[in-house]
Amino acid sequence: MGTESSLLSALRELARQQGVEPTDEDLEGVLGFLTRILPELEELEALLPPEVTP
Amino acid sequence: VTAVRLAERLRAGELSPREAVEWYLGRIEGHSALNAYITVLAEEALAEADAAFSAAERGPLWGVPVAVKDVIDVAGARTTAASEILRGNVAARDAVVVERLRAAGAIVLGKLNLHEFAYGALSTSPHFGPVRNPWNADRVAGGSSGGSGAAAAAGLAAGTLGTDTAGSVRIPAAFCGVTGHRPSTGLVPNDGVVPVSWSFDTVGPIARSAEDCSLLLEAIAPDLVPDSGGDAPRIGLVTSLLEQADPRVAAVVEEAARGLGAEPVAAPVLARAGLIQQLVMLPEAAAAHLPWLRTRLPDYGADVRARLLAGLLLPATSYPTGLRGRRWLEGEVRPLFERFDLLAAPTMPIVPPLIGEDPVELGGERVPYRLTLIPFNSPWSCLGLPVTSVPCGFVDGLPVGLALVGRRGADAAVLGAARAFQQATDWHERRPPGVSEAI
Repeated sequence: MGTESSLLSALRELARQQGVEPTDEDLEGVLGFLTRILPELEELEALLPPEVTP
Repeated sequence: VTAVRLAERLRAGELSPREAVEWYLGRIEGHSALNAYITVLAEEALAEADAAFSAAERGPLWGVPVAVKDVIDVAGARTTAASEILRGNVAARDAVVVERLRAAGAIVLGKLNLHEFAYGALSTSPHFGPVRNPWNADRVAGGSSGGSGAAAAAGLAAGTLGTDTAGSVRIPAAFCGVTGHRPSTGLVPNDGVVPVSWSFDTVGPIARSAEDCSLLLEAIAPDLVPDSGGDAPRIGLVTSLLEQADPRVAAVVEEAARGLGAEPVAAPVLARAGLIQQLVMLPEAAAAHLPWLRTRLPDYGADVRARLLAGLLLPATSYPTGLRGRRWLEGEVRPLFERFDLLAAPTMPIVPPLIGEDPVELGGERVPYRLTLIPFNSPWSCLGLPVTSVPCGFVDGLPVGLALVGRRGADAAVLGAARAFQQATDWHERRPPGVSEAI
């Protein structure tokens, strides 16, 4: 609970720094999305050969 | 009647542009329950029809009534994007694609409903109401170009334009039993179109047939490379996608593809495309919307707001990783297009769900609707490839779409194969219940 709460606080601050003020419900949705996608992102990063550039 | 046939009848003087426009306006009124249109430009279209009658030059779309998705600017009309934020936004000038349609002689009937900001695939805007599927009004029309798909299926325009970032032309075409073409990225200019993601957005036609889509595409894409013809295309049926579809949908698609002489080919690498496209698309959409995220956040529908905020808060490294992933995927897919001229797959793994049904059933499990469509649509849009979705059968009385995918720039070849399929089948001639042929 404490970890999730601090993650939500961090996301809220990151949004605020960009001038956006999401609700708690919005941020819970974003956290759920990030929880799902970040391991996939890490896996993709490991898969890509270093010589592949954007 | 198809757009091609209507254009022939207009040129032959069998009816006037005003008669064609009046017929479609009556039809739009008669099928208003579909909620396909956000704005009907009745007076403007009638005036254009009268002006067309005395025009010296008569282009290939002379007098043909068309309609465009409401993210595409038409001078003097609202471009709402089915959003609260742009509800009162009146365009000062035509989008380039509208200029080109008009230059070819087309008459613009109005602006078509969609998923809010073209950022979703249901076309159930909380601000303008859901588009209803002409085959079953309790079901979605798909999206984001749902109004375009419904209008083409119900004969509410002779041809339509939609836009496609990650499936938004192909999905409504499949769900509404009509033909849709996502052009190669960059072939059609996006000037005057509300953006979702600059790397993937493209305008594309949705109409009754592949021949109609070609007619519309030739008007909006003067750089279209003609099909060189020649031998029958070698077609690979992507079994790794087929296996993920509802078995009843897969059976319909497999039969259609085998009728084209397709050979099975597994391409499991395509499963990476969904993530790769998300990593690029989400931050680009957030960047495009940032001014409104700051000032109008509560005015977005919940699903669109969630996706935009996800893009805002993704780690910065996700974007270059997505771009690198796209480059890598191009290399992985290249051998497929050395072996085959075209790839075939289901456009969607399911039939259109009920309005409000999310999650949906797939493979005996309840799956979020959005996750069903990504594996089937992102591989092609991620790589900027041309795709035509053609109707290829029915499951439970609901249409199923076959996606034909070509090499980048080979739009005419893809549409040529789709046209050959439609010369051998009549799925594209089936009409929804209660939708009559007339004009």
